[in-house]
Amino acid sequence: MNSLHVATSVADAIAALADRGDGGAPLAGATWIMRAPIRKEQHPRSYVALAKIDELQRVELLHDYLSIGACVTHARLAAALAPLPEFRALAVAAGSSANPAIRQMATIGGNLCAAGFAAADLVPALICLDAQIELAMPGESTRVSVEAFLTMRTDLPHGCLVRRVMVPRTTYRSDHVRLTLRKGGDYPVVIVSLAAELGSTGVVKSARVAIGSVETTARRWEKFERLLIGHPLDPADVTEKATLCADELHGREGVEAPGWYRIKVLPSLVGRAVRNIRGQC
Amino acid sequence: MLHAVLLRAEVPSARLLAVDVSRACKMPGVRAIVTAADAPGLHGIGIADQPLFAVDLIRYVGEPIAAVAADTLEQAEAAVAAITTEIDLLPTAISMADALAPEAHLVHPDWRNYEVLFEGAAHAGNIAWEATVVRGDTGAAFSRADVTVVESNFRVGRQNHLSFEPRVAIASYEDGRFHIETSTQVPWTIRNVTARILGIPASHVRVTVPAVGGAFGLKFDCALEPFAALLARASGRPVRLANSRQEEMFTCLCRENAEIKLRSAVTKEGEIVGREAVVLMDCGAYGGEQIFLTTMTAHTLGGNYRLGSVRISSRAIYTNTAPNGAFRACNGVYNTFALERHTDEICAAIGMDQFEFRRRNVLGDKDIGSTGQVFEGDVLRPMLDRMADLRSARPSKKGTAGRRLYGRATTVGTWFIFVGPSAATVNLNTDGSATLVTAGVEIGSGSMMQALPQIVANTLGLHPEQVIVRTADTDGSGFDLGVGGGRTTVSLGAASQSASEEVRKKLLSVAGEMLQTAPERLVLAGGRVEIAGAKGSGTTIAKVVERAQQLLGPLSGSGSFTRPGVPAMAGCARGHFIDAIDIPVFAVHECEVAVDPETGHVEVLGYTVVQDVGHAINPRAVFGQIQGGVVQGLGYALHEEITIDADGRMRQEGLETYRVPLAQDVVPVEISLHEGAPSIGPLGTKGAGEVPILNVAATIACAVSNATGRPVCEIPLTPPRVLELILGKNTQLTFPHISPFWEENVLTSQPSGKRDVAG
Amino acid sequence: MPLHLTVNDEDRVSVRDPLTPLVDVLRDEFFLTGAKIVCREGFCGACTVWVDGRPVVSCLLPVGLAVDCKIHTVESLSTNGDLSVLQKAFEDHDAVQCGMCFPGMLMTLTSFLDREPRATREEIKAALVGNVCRCTGYERIVDAAFSLASAG
Ligand code: FES
Ligand code: FES
Repeated sequence: MNSLHVATSVADAIAALADRGDGGAPLAGATWIMRAPIRKEQHPRSYVALAKIDELQRVELLHDYLSIGACVTHARLAAALAPLPEFRALAVAAGSSANPAIRQMATIGGNLCAAGFAAADLVPALICLDAQIELAMPGESTRVSVEAFLTMRTDLPHGCLVRRVMVPRTTYRSDHVRLTLRKGGDYPVVIVSLAAELGSTGVVKSARVAIGSVETTARRWEKFERLLIGHPLDPADVTEKATLCADELHGREGVEAPGWYRIKVLPSLVGRAVRNIRGQC
Repeated sequence: MLHAVLLRAEVPSARLLAVDVSRACKMPGVRAIVTAADAPGLHGIGIADQPLFAVDLIRYVGEPIAAVAADTLEQAEAAVAAITTEIDLLPTAISMADALAPEAHLVHPDWRNYEVLFEGAAHAGNIAWEATVVRGDTGAAFSRADVTVVESNFRVGRQNHLSFEPRVAIASYEDGRFHIETSTQVPWTIRNVTARILGIPASHVRVTVPAVGGAFGLKFDCALEPFAALLARASGRPVRLANSRQEEMFTCLCRENAEIKLRSAVTKEGEIVGREAVVLMDCGAYGGEQIFLTTMTAHTLGGNYRLGSVRISSRAIYTNTAPNGAFRACNGVYNTFALERHTDEICAAIGMDQFEFRRRNVLGDKDIGSTGQVFEGDVLRPMLDRMADLRSARPSKKGTAGRRLYGRATTVGTWFIFVGPSAATVNLNTDGSATLVTAGVEIGSGSMMQALPQIVANTLGLHPEQVIVRTADTDGSGFDLGVGGGRTTVSLGAASQSASEEVRKKLLSVAGEMLQTAPERLVLAGGRVEIAGAKGSGTTIAKVVERAQQLLGPLSGSGSFTRPGVPAMAGCARGHFIDAIDIPVFAVHECEVAVDPETGHVEVLGYTVVQDVGHAINPRAVFGQIQGGVVQGLGYALHEEITIDADGRMRQEGLETYRVPLAQDVVPVEISLHEGAPSIGPLGTKGAGEVPILNVAATIACAVSNATGRPVCEIPLTPPRVLELILGKNTQLTFPHISPFWEENVLTSQPSGKRDVAG
Repeated sequence: MPLHLTVNDEDRVSVRDPLTPLVDVLRDEFFLTGAKIVCREGFCGACTVWVDGRPVVSCLLPVGLAVDCKIHTVESLSTNGDLSVLQKAFEDHDAVQCGMCFPGMLMTLTSFLDREPRATREEIKAALVGNVCRCTGYERIVDAAFSLASAG
């Protein structure tokens, strides 16, 4: 079997994947998968390339939601979102991850599926914007929340692939803050994506906060969200609250940073996100 | 051409019982497999302790066990995977503390039997080499009633050169001779070491070197060449062997990790009456360059300041980790970091201004260095004054620090030019061009392709573009110690100049005849010979060469150079390769930083260098070297970290985790060149490419200490480490394996048999 | 199956496995050795080429995905031996040391300056976040690019 099948349609891809079973895997932007040998991982026998499927390349602003095809690259996403302030957190994530050349290649679908990649930028941004993922499978398609997808992504059934991501349109304000060890160019050691709906008095009506890179998988931070409700978004206040909630997190030990560091700097990053959001008002 | 791959050890310490290549030999495309049996010789610097392949013992993760050449890289990889080994795991000594602990595992149980290539140093067990300095009576100094005693400990990690071109070699074997084309700084070393390892006459090896894609000292040692040579001979075909980036990461001859203990006795007026130092340098599994580099402590840590009395123990320690090597201003960068931070701690202890202390104590004219050598000229003090002038001429960057902590620091550094033998030949051709033949290599600094042509052109009245520089070929040029240590412009430059002078003499004598004028009255310039004061009176150099060729044969000259040898004080230095430095080089650096108290990020706001260059032949090239060197130093000070886990494995495997500075992390360095300090280099020059990195870590560390009010004792200052420092969470550095009593840190002063160090 | 590619406006055929990184095809099969292999992880930028006009790292692009795309390498920048303006600016600023990073620097910055002809120094530096240089300390590279941006 050829090591690479370039699929021409979603149906073709599904069939090819189902056909390959355990020996196959989808390939989107390839930036994560091409580094498998460096991580001492084996390639499967054959990949099914999704990059040439037109449908997966589309970004569409619909009435209720934004639809992003699985193979839309970070760079294209950032460009498409530039005029749409309602998706600010996602725009920042797409426009600042990794480096410009990688952003030209890496896709939203790949970012969601790279289970070993704790520092993926789009994942927490999508969680805070309450995005849904549409999965295509032989004969059906289903929608799941991003959080649900993260728990199932390592054992998706054969022939299942991410078709598109749907981000609801809201009146939330959002932002995405990432801490790299250099000015940029390395994977963030902490990511905070925060979206909040503010009442007319500036008080938080509802909020969604997601953190990435702190733990092995990005997560929503509900305990902290609850403390925000009913209060104005004040940087000092939220920093304090984040500090109070931080002990429930398990900082990931990494080559680049120890776990305690991620936890320790998290509250000030939350403060920065809030400062940015206030700046948008 | 065949492609080769090495089988490398996966464990740090084991007995190697058997290597079975029988299955691999039969794999498709495989043309040759070589192992320890093909290269039994030991090599090294100072002490012959290193085999090409692991013989009976595996001493580090990554140590070569066998080499395979096959038609394709994939086939060679597959064959390597098919080689089986039988091993027995042994205890390890991963850190220097492990290696110096009582009952430590001996990395070289056979150390007593090694051939010593350079006499005079003590060594025992895991102490691969020990160089000591004793001048004056430090005991008396420390017991004076009027002194304050300041003591500090420092620790630094390794730094990877990350030269963009990896180490790579292509070898062929024809008519009983090897031709090795390789990426190296030291063609003659490659020739001689390869011959030693293969047990053949050195004249049977020819080494040629194309332009090198970055080196920084990494390519100052023999590396892949003998493997490629063995495989070429065994297969009868040319063989290419290149390291992957991952191999470069875990077998890089890194700048060594080191541990430093410093003690000083200082009077209220700031006079340093006594200093004691112990420096442990991790040489990894084999001595390599570190054996030589123990020498440098006397001149770097023992440099900068006048010392009433001094004792230094500089030791290379064996561990079960990859061997370390030479990296731009080797040894100097961390010793300068330690010395300058210690100096600031002295200032704090006696309540003296940091800048004032330095002005008072830096080495000046006729002051004596740690080994008793006499320094010529006042260099550092005027350089400090220049720095003060530069500072007052522009506003402080404190405002840009905003809510962050602001710090500034000024440091001094002492380095030297690594001189030694070089040879050059200059041929002047009838078209008016000249060819310069040396064994020098262009490694990206511009010394070979810019500075040397300028020296030759100057002497012969040509344009630098008319000087063609022959790429290095050991068959075509005389011996050379190698390109590095800032020696290119000085040693190769001096040899090239003397070769050019010989040509000039011949040229002028023929021209004198042609123009009916005494040679002394002739001037060479712009490709012409003129009678002094009468422009247009002469003829072109090309015409003279043509005439000379008819009369004398082709015009050529040769020149050579070696170190003059500056004396040290008798009996001060022991176990040193260089007792005194021939050409000292000084540097003064200053920086301003902002430290984010929330995240520990250090931003460099401004950086200034005043550098002693003797005479700048090509200031633009020097500026380029300073900017590049400072930025490599910023990487070392702030970002570049290598950690080794308990299994002797480096955790940073590539550019994702080994973070070098990027464009956004750097600032344009403000540069002022100090000219006129004494130098024996041609036109009074000193090498300028190596020293810019020297005091960067020192300057950043001192500035961060000043900003945070906390003592920086370890680098790199990554955000987690700085945050730890700010939070006071860092544990104080203690060295159980370094005795607080200096004399217990030397082998030489112990009554024999009293204490058996590390076994 | 042979793979049909367009490289520097020429039709080329590769016989390598489609998962082979494009950079290996360019260097080993087509002898276009301008793109350099330094890290193979997308962090150094030395292997940068343009695929359909966009700069990408060719170490992470399987050649099978480059089929039917227009690939341009650094070799395409100078025409008839005339250096491009940026190449010329690098030379004028004496920016090059070992030179290994420059093919990537050229591909990244040429494309960036096309899009942002009025870029500031800070923007140029930010655009270089995926291009490492180990030798020069960057400032002259930035100076050279900025000289074009400010010259307009
Ligand atoms: S080799 Fe492709 S980015 Fe480094
Ligand atoms: S010039 Fe050597 S890497 Fe940039």
